[in-house]
Order: sequence, then C-alpha cells, then structure tokens
Amino acid sequence: MRPGAARLEPWVLMSPALALLAAVTALPMLYVVWLSLQQRALFRAAQFTGFDHYFRLAGDGRFWNALGNTLYFALVSVAMELALGLAIALLLARAGRARALIYGAVLVPWAIPTVVSARMWEWMYQPELGVLSFLAGRPVNWLGDAALALHAAIAMDVWKSTPFVALLLLAGLQAIPRELVHAAALDGAGAWTTFRRVTLPLLAPVILVAAVFRSIDALRVFDAIYVLTGGGPANATETLSIYAYRVLFQMLDFGYGSALAVVVLAITGMAALAYARLLRGGIE
Amino acid sequence: MRRPGLWLGLAAVCAWSLAPFLWQLLTSVKPAAELEALPPFLPGAITLVHYEAIFAGHPFARLLLNSFIVSALATLLALGFGSLAGFALAKLRPPGRAATLAAVVALSMLPPVATVSPLFLLASAAGLRDTLVGLVLVYAGFALPLAVWLMAQFFRGVPDALYIAARVDGCSAAGAFVKVMLPLAVPGLTATGLLVFVFCWNEFLYALTLTSSMAARTVPVGIALFPGLHEVPWGEIAAGSVIATLPPVALAIVFQRRVLAGLTAGALKG
Amino acid sequence: MIGVSLDARSPSVRLAAPAARRRGALRALAALSIAALAAACGRQEPRRPDALVFRHPKLFGDPEPLDRLVGQFERAHGVAVRREALPAASDEQHLFYAINLAAETTEFDVLALDTIWAAEFAQAGWLRDLSAHVSAADERDLFAAPLASVTWRARRYALPWFVDAGLLYYRADLLAAEGLAPPRTWTDLAQAVRRVRVSQPALHGFVWQGKQYEGLVCNALEFIWSHGGDLDAGAPAAVRGLAFMRALVTDGLSPPYVTTLTEEPARVLFGRARALFLRNWPYAWSLLQRAGSEVEGRVGVCPLPHAPGHPAAAALGGWHLGVNAFSRHAAVAEKLAAFLCAAPAQKALALAYGYSAPRRSLYADPELAAAQPFLASLATLLEAARPRPVSPHYVALSQVLQSEFSAVLSGRRAPAGALGAIARARRVLEAV
Repeated sequence: MRPGAARLEPWVLMSPALALLAAVTALPMLYVVWLSLQQRALFRAAQFTGFDHYFRLAGDGRFWNALGNTLYFALVSVAMELALGLAIALLLARAGRARALIYGAVLVPWAIPTVVSARMWEWMYQPELGVLSFLAGRPVNWLGDAALALHAAIAMDVWKSTPFVALLLLAGLQAIPRELVHAAALDGAGAWTTFRRVTLPLLAPVILVAAVFRSIDALRVFDAIYVLTGGGPANATETLSIYAYRVLFQMLDFGYGSALAVVVLAITGMAALAYARLLRGGIE
Repeated sequence: MRRPGLWLGLAAVCAWSLAPFLWQLLTSVKPAAELEALPPFLPGAITLVHYEAIFAGHPFARLLLNSFIVSALATLLALGFGSLAGFALAKLRPPGRAATLAAVVALSMLPPVATVSPLFLLASAAGLRDTLVGLVLVYAGFALPLAVWLMAQFFRGVPDALYIAARVDGCSAAGAFVKVMLPLAVPGLTATGLLVFVFCWNEFLYALTLTSSMAARTVPVGIALFPGLHEVPWGEIAAGSVIATLPPVALAIVFQRRVLAGLTAGALKG
Repeated sequence: MIGVSLDARSPSVRLAAPAARRRGALRALAALSIAALAAACGRQEPRRPDALVFRHPKLFGDPEPLDRLVGQFERAHGVAVRREALPAASDEQHLFYAINLAAETTEFDVLALDTIWAAEFAQAGWLRDLSAHVSAADERDLFAAPLASVTWRARRYALPWFVDAGLLYYRADLLAAEGLAPPRTWTDLAQAVRRVRVSQPALHGFVWQGKQYEGLVCNALEFIWSHGGDLDAGAPAAVRGLAFMRALVTDGLSPPYVTTLTEEPARVLFGRARALFLRNWPYAWSLLQRAGSEVEGRVGVCPLPHAPGHPAAAALGGWHLGVNAFSRHAAVAEKLAAFLCAAPAQKALALAYGYSAPRRSLYADPELAAAQPFLASLATLLEAARPRPVSPHYVALSQVLQSEFSAVLSGRRAPAGALGAIARARRVLEAV
C-alpha cells in the first residue's frame, strides 16, 4: 500500500462522523453567531446590526435575572449533588452483594426522561393535592413562591442527577487501592482521618470531573424548568436557556434570541474547555 | 461493622430514588375522583381508565412508535459512524488525534438552545422539519461525540497485537475493523448504544422545535404538551409518564452493568 | 492529566461478558434496529394528502357532537377532515403556531386562534383573508369585540367561533346563610369573605388565575379595568387595580399559592368546597353543577365585582377560526371555517358543550334558552367583555405583561414600577 493512502486511511474512516458533526453541530454553531449579529425578527426587515444585540443585553434586566438564576441553579444543585453523591457512593461501596439490586434503584432517576420527572415533581408539588404538602402537614406554595420555586427546581435536579454523580464517584472509590486504606488503618488512623487524608485526596480528580460534567448540564438546563414552572413566578425560575427559547420561538426574534443563545454557548463552552483540558492528557 | 446503619442508609437511598416514580404509578391507577383529594394515600380501587384514555383519546401509541423509530435509527447511525471514527482514532493513531478528540468532547457539551434556531432554519429550508429523518440526523449528530469518545476508549482496550495480526494477514484497515475489531467491541457497542438510545428517547428541546404533527412528534413532547382545554388531566399524564419511563428504565436495569460501564467510561477513563 | 486510571475492579473495564450473553445482546440490538427500519419504511404512507387538517383546543366532554358536525361537512364536500388537538395552555399553543407558521407549514389547514393572535398572524401573512365569508348580516349579528379582534387593516382574517368572559362564581349557600347578596363591589367581596370565615376559618376566600401565563394577564387587566384604569392611561387607577391584586394575597383573601393557579386548579379548589369565590370562564359552570360535584346546586354566578364608582369589566376570551395562508386546500378550508362559524354549527356546539356563540341572534333562540338557560343569561355579559390590546405585537407585549404582573403579585415590584416598565416596553414595540 502506498504510504500516502495509509496516512489518509484514518481520515476516510472518520469522514462520515466528521461530516455529520459538521452539518448538525459545527455549522449551526457558526450560524447562530452570524444570526446574533443580525436583525431577524417578525415584521422587521432583515439587516446586519453588528454587536447591537450584545449591547442591548447589558441593559436588559431580564437577561441579568436569567443569568443570575442560571448560575445559582448550577452552583447549588452541583454542590448538593456532589455532597449527596459522595455519601451514596460511600454507602454503595460497602453494600456487598446487595449492590446490584441497589444499582437498579439508583439508575431509575437517571433513566427517566427529564420531562417526565418534571411532570412527576409538578404533581408532587401541588400545594393542596400534592404529596409533599401532605407530608409537610400544610399547604406549601412550592412552585408559586418566588423565593421557593427555584429551590424546588433544584431539588428535582438533585434527585435526577445525584445517581450519576454517585456512580461516577463509586467507580473512583473502587479504583483506590485497598492497601493504602489498610495501611492507614494499621497506622492507627480513625475512619474519618483515613477518609480525609487518603480517600478524599485520591478521589479529588474524579470529584472534579463530576463537578465539571454536572455544571455543564446545569448551566444549559431547559427541559426541567420549562415543564415545571415555565420560568415563573415573577421570572424567579427563568434560566438563560428558557429566556433565549422564549425570545426565539415565542416572540420570533431570531437575532436577539440568538445573541442570548450565544451567551449560553459561551458559558457552557468555558466549562467544556476546562473539561477537555482535564481529559486531554488521557487521550495520548 | 455497623451493619444496621448501613442497611438503613441503603434503604433510604432506594426509597429516595424510587419514591417519586412509585407515587406517579399510584397516581396513574387512581380513579379520577380520588385525584382531587389527599388523603387517601392509597387508591381505593385500581383503575386502568387513564391508560385507556391516553391510547384512545390521545394518539399515544403513535408517539411511542415515533420515539422508538427515531431513537433506534439515531442509535444505529451514531454507533456506525462512531465506531468507525473511534477505531480510527484509537488504532490508526492519525496525527492530530488528541485535538480531534478534544474537539469532539467539547462538541458533546453543546447546549441545545444554542443551535436550535439555526437547525430550525436549516431543517425548514431542507424540508426536513417535522420528519423522522430530520430528527434522526439531529439526534445522531448530537449523540455522536459521546459515541466517538466511548468507542475510542473501548477500542483502546483491545490489544494492538490482534489488529496488527489481522493487517499482517492481508486485511485492509477497514477489513480488520469489520472482521476482528468490531466483534471484540460488542460490549462497548452495547454500552454506547444503550446510552445513546436513552439520550435520544429522553430528548425534548429539538423535538419540541423540529416537529409539529403526529408524523414526527415524540413521547417527551407529548407528555410536556398534554392536550386539554383549561384542564390538567393528572391521571392521564401519570399514565403517560409511566409508559414513557418504562423503555429507558427497563433497558437501564436489564443492562445495568453495560450502562454503568458506559457512564463511568464516558466521564472518567483517560 | 487527571490521576485516575481504573483498575480491574472498576465497572468500566469489567466488560468481558460470557460469550452467549454478548451474542444475546447483539442479537437484541439487531432485532431492535430492524424493527425500527421496518416500521419507518412501513409507515411511509403519511396521511391521505387530500384530508383537511383542523387544529383546535381539546373539547370538554364527548367529541361526538363535533364529529357529527364535521361529518356533515365531509359528506357535503366530499373531503376528509382530520381533527388534531392543541397543547393545553395558550402560550404553548402560540409557540406551536409560531414555530410552524414561520416555517410555512402545510401540515394544517384550518386553525383555531385565541382571540389575541389574529392581528399578529394577519400582519405576519400567515392567515388568508376571510372577509368574503363575513356578510353584512353577520356583521350586524356578531358581537363587536370579537369582530374587532379578527379585523386587521379593515379586513377580516378569522371568523369568531365562540367567546368567553370572566365571571365570578360564588357559594350561594354560604352567602345565603350569612344573609349576604352576591358581591357587586370588591369591598362587598372582601366583607363577605371575612363574614363567612368567622364560622369557617379554613375556607379560602377568592381563588383566581395568578400563575405567570396568559391567564394572569386577563385577571390582572380585570383588576385594573374595574378600578377605572387602563394600560393606555398611566393613571393612578391602574396602580390601585394592581395594588388591590397584591393585597388580595397579603390580606389573606386569596391563598398565597394563587401564584400557581391556572383555570383548572382554581376550579378544582372551588369545586371541592374549599373557596367562597372563584373567577373563571363560563365553561366551569357545567363542571361545578354536574351530578356528584361537592358544590352541586350550591353555586351562583354573577358579573365580576368592581371598585365603587367604576363599571365592572370582564376580559374577552374565546376562539376564532382562521385558514393557514400556506394551505394546499385553501378553498375548501375556508368553507370549513365558515361552516363551523355559521349560526347552525354554533348553535349545535352551544347545545352540546355549553360554548357561548358570539351571535346576538342565538341568545334569542328559544330552543337554546330552554336547553342552556345559564348560557342565555350571559348574553349581555359576553357582549360587554373587553378585549386585551389588539396589536400585532400582542404576544411580545404579553411576555412583558406576564412577568410584570407576576412580579407585582409576588411582591417583587411596586405597581407603579411595573406599569412604567410596561409603558416603556409598549413604546419600544410600537416604534418598530
């Protein structure tokens, strides 16, 4: 075989995947940036407007509100998922033979479609008919109180995503050589000290990966909140994705909506870059 | 060892994971009148009227069929293209593969809302809006980064010696891929396929935007946009939710080890 | 590089499965994909290309009467008509139409429109001009407000199908026990709630639609109008209306979770005898009065209250029928819309579903008056209902109205601030 052909071979094999990726993800990504620089709205003539939409963002209170909600949602839900996930992973690590059974249970929230889980929680959050108010002993305005609603959405996300974090951390835990833990125990370290001095440092990289992975998901959250609250009350649960989608498809303003979408892209992009850097060494 | 504490903790984990779903299951078999009050906690009588209603009054079967077709075909496409690319990256080691993989990983983090407006315009222009083919292409494209990444990981686990032996025996790279590598990668293909299938089955944003009629509408959109005038048919929504949940949950439980392998490899291996 | 490398104990590399099981999984996967392919090919016959598609909100009750009407039309014109339901909430319905009509869909021919969309859809060029189907006699017969809302630049782009107006439902038994008449002013309503609560402290006072969605706009506008205010007049009356809305929650006359209520949850609360007053559309009447309802025979209905010295005002709701400008069957689609909006069809729907027709003549019809006395009694109320602003930018404006009204209701914004923001947004929108 000619050496030139051998060099081309891998690219030939990769070409279908690269072509599809270009058509469905890369090209639209460039297109959305282009759209964001134009006036493209119902009843208005299409024209190039440069960075006008981005200047408009600066003075748009609803945008800042959505940005704040998005960051708060991501920060709180990821922190809780890591804490809970670590606790569950530590429990599962000791479960022995029952583990398979418990895996089954833990995978359920992960496998349920987000839309469905939002519907389930919406039903449980009903102030008078919902099981959560019943358990609380009085009607609680879970989704209708501007101070409570975002936390209600966070609780749902924590329920849905903690299993993933727990399973990831469990894999990390199992990769820690037993000898290290035993050695620490022989040295007379207590369980807590062993956990803090041996387990946690060795687990730190996995925790970091889980944190970045979940942050990316939380920063682009759409389905859960769209179904649960639609962004209300008083926009208290409106995230950037929801706001962008409303501008795009409710008001049919593709220019400004695309600018909002580019902001979501930039924020998750930064997180994704961090992630790619974390993994990159491993590719070689 | 503090066994009782451990078991209590594990039981709590199971209860917390399962309770919302079980509650939805109970809701779906409660007579309509009992849905308007709480307590009683448990249904006074078990009824299947809500299940009958979604199949009779609301073309739920069609939604299921659409979801099934789209998810299965997109999975097939992503597996085919993804395993080819994963193999090329892992075994042929082209120059620039690290950058390629990093780009692929970055693409997998793309927020759907960022590309939904261009895809809407492109799909409309191409006549692919509201068709199953359009959704299959979009889903396959969005699942592809995960598939490429996972398959590259799985192929790296296959010893080089096997691949080299096949080449020495006169196979082309493609031949070696089909005859030797692919059979060895079945566990990886299954794990990847399961994750992609579940991903496609659960997708909402694109389905909401790119479909309009029963020709292509999928289950999550059907559940989110339950038809009704003013009313909220909780019983029917619960019944629909239970049915929509069964395929991915059943797959996840039956192929538990594959899913776990895929999930952790996707995020961790490096 | 992250310091993780998974050893043999980790699940990610524990992949060697027994060969039989592996083959089983592969076979299952193959079977799955073949089935999917077969299904995809098998259903390549889409629908009959000559069928008309009629999109409308789901009906309350038995679909049979509407099927019978549509069947008549099918036989008369030799076409098949397929009915498809819209999503439940107005905002989602608009989203659906906007996405599809912007993409110039041919997937549906006749479409039901919320009263607030006709101007927008007409200006966008999504609707056919139906002026030819509105005769001079129709113009005299139809209520003025729905007729105005289908009109854009002096042409009619839709046909009024049925109308809605906000009403006050009350527990007649509880008011009678206290010797109270149905409230005429908001003060009467507040006093009635306080009086009845003396003996029934757990009862909610007044439930209405306060969730951040289109329904809140109707409710809030009713509060503003009934205090003599309007969106156009940046007057203290509008501030008083919104302040009153917020005070309903802070004074405990409405439960705090009125911020999550849409029509049905509010109706269910009232129907379970948990509230004294309910604001809702006419549809709730037959549901509250049906056999087995906890409040059967104990419900009264009256016009919405108003502030002393101002007229009462109910928001106009309801549906129009329009024809998709991109329809491939425009001529026959127009005929279907006209058929369903003509007096005989409207009368049949009124008899079957209690839907209120937008025609004066029907309220004089003795058969209808005998069968639906409740409906007949609403004629003046329905005719007096006030439309939300008629503007092609209504939906964009509504986005602002929804979030500002919701912010006032949650106590996050003062009424004056919200009205100022609304006025600014209107200026921006109308300047385009």
